[in-house]
Amino acid sequence: MTGRRIYPWLDRGGRLSVLKLVVFLALFMPCAWTLLSYGRETLGPRPLTEAIHQTGLWAIRFLMISLAITPLRRMLQWPRLILVRRMVGVAAFGYATLHLALYIVDQSFDFRLVASEILLRFYLTIGFVALMLLSVLAATSTDGMIRRLGGRNWRRLHRSVYVIATLALVHYFIQSKLNVAEPMVVAGLFAWLMADRALGWSWGEGGRRPFWALAGLGALAALLTATGEAAYYRLANGFDPWRVLAANVGSHFDRRPGWIVLAICLAVTTAGLLRSRYAPQARRSQTANRITATEPAR
Amino acid sequence: MYIKHKRGWELPESAATPESIYLKRRDFCKGLAAGPLLLGAGAGIFADTAAAEAADADPSAKLYPFKRNDTYKLDRPLTPADLVTSYNNYYEFGTSKDIADAAQALPVRPWTVTIDGMVEKPITLGIDDLLAKMPLEERLYRHRCVEAWSMTVPWSGFAMKALVALAKPTASATYVQMTSFQNPDVAEGQQESFYPWPYIEGLTMSEATTDLAFLVTGAYGKPAPKQNGAPLRLATPWKYGFKSAKGIVRFTFTDKQPVNFWQSIQASEYGFWANVNPDVPHPRWSQATERVLGGGDRVPTLLFNGYGEYVAGLYKDLQNERLYV
Repeated sequence: MTGRRIYPWLDRGGRLSVLKLVVFLALFMPCAWTLLSYGRETLGPRPLTEAIHQTGLWAIRFLMISLAITPLRRMLQWPRLILVRRMVGVAAFGYATLHLALYIVDQSFDFRLVASEILLRFYLTIGFVALMLLSVLAATSTDGMIRRLGGRNWRRLHRSVYVIATLALVHYFIQSKLNVAEPMVVAGLFAWLMADRALGWSWGEGGRRPFWALAGLGALAALLTATGEAAYYRLANGFDPWRVLAANVGSHFDRRPGWIVLAICLAVTTAGLLRSRYAPQARRSQTANRITATEPAR
Repeated sequence: MYIKHKRGWELPESAATPESIYLKRRDFCKGLAAGPLLLGAGAGIFADTAAAEAADADPSAKLYPFKRNDTYKLDRPLTPADLVTSYNNYYEFGTSKDIADAAQALPVRPWTVTIDGMVEKPITLGIDDLLAKMPLEERLYRHRCVEAWSMTVPWSGFAMKALVALAKPTASATYVQMTSFQNPDVAEGQQESFYPWPYIEGLTMSEATTDLAFLVTGAYGKPAPKQNGAPLRLATPWKYGFKSAKGIVRFTFTDKQPVNFWQSIQASEYGFWANVNPDVPHPRWSQATERVLGGGDRVPTLLFNGYGEYVAGLYKDLQNERLYV
């Protein structure tokens, strides 16, 4: 064990990992863009509101990306992705904290008002609970905490990320004024990730699923998205669910979240198929897999 | 080897004036000359040739500016025109605030206004014929959106009570329902056919005939931009902004309370009355304060958006109604 500090862009052997460096820098991009836009006054006449939306959006996106790491490792045969899972998760926490902080600024630092709003408005309560739970995960994300809690307890605690993601998604839905296309896409992809985990019962958590299973799952997620959208509009706004479903085969079908979810799922599944056919990861011995320092950075 | 030396007058082709500007050079020069004057009036929206052309094509353009009616005072400065014309809720064109470009697709001439329902005789007339019959004036109004932001706009138009007088409603009419345009070919948002288009709004007869109810055709001394509801929109400044329907094509006098667009979508959050009241929260947020566009301040919201002295009396006997949602 070297005495050197492990910076986010170094792998466990203390060598520069290009993957980690690129991801680390990318995690700051939305924040940098928002700050720049704020300074250049291109966030519109209500810049704080826009910044609150952007930070919330990226919080939930990074949360979902962190949940996609394990499936993607398997689908794309890219085990090194695990190296960035923690930093993506912590970024989700960072953006969620910024999201709340900006809300406090928008309420002119009236903490009493912020507290009463969080208590009175259901979707704010849900969001706040999600952030509190996420902060526990952030606090226990360090190597030291993993050692202290022990592998089994740490894994149990961090399984609460599924609850947090669900709460965040509900918060996103309730926050929407009318058009729920965006949260619907996130929900559809979340459903795909969860269904993929369910497939672990048949093929094992780390086991490669056949292409037909993954593609089928993508189609199922897309179908769930489309029916979920129809059900949502029926329950929330009294729209005719058949008309919502019919829009999926109408002239502007490509706007419907169901098709967007399908496109993304099929793209990822196809990428995995192409990878395994034409550029498969070379088989390595168990020992070689552990010595990550000798692996070229991907 | 051939070395070309440019003679003094030889310009690169890239320096040539674009043909589109060359063909409209006289309007372009007029636009340049008028620029400093227009900027002073806050009408930066007409800084380019295309918009100037559109203004020429609008037969009502020569009527502006309308005479100022100073009855209603403002307690804050006017919002800059570029904000008012670039931050718009107009779901017919999309659910973002960025619909100004999409709204340009709406044809505003010819524009037919129909007045029917419980009236002596249904009337159908073009918007310019309607304007010719109405008492045109300019008023400075506050506008309070239900989303807790606000702006102040110099609207040009006419008192709604003048249109009601023209309509000659029968004694049994107790409401007036306004219907906005329905044109999915140009309005992307209306292609989502599962929404309850067209946009519908309504007022009671006493609300429609109170002097404060204003039908708007222009802003900042010029015909209104399309994203602001041209060529005909409502301004009921004591109510939340969604009551002020845009792109109105029809006024129907009825004895049944109209169910407006937002009410049919989410009655728990958007009602018929929608009078501004800081003490009655929206189910998802407080209405106690509002963010003023442009200034950036968050200010306390006023009951009836500060117009209580003109309209509070209308609701004296209606205290059982959900007046503030």
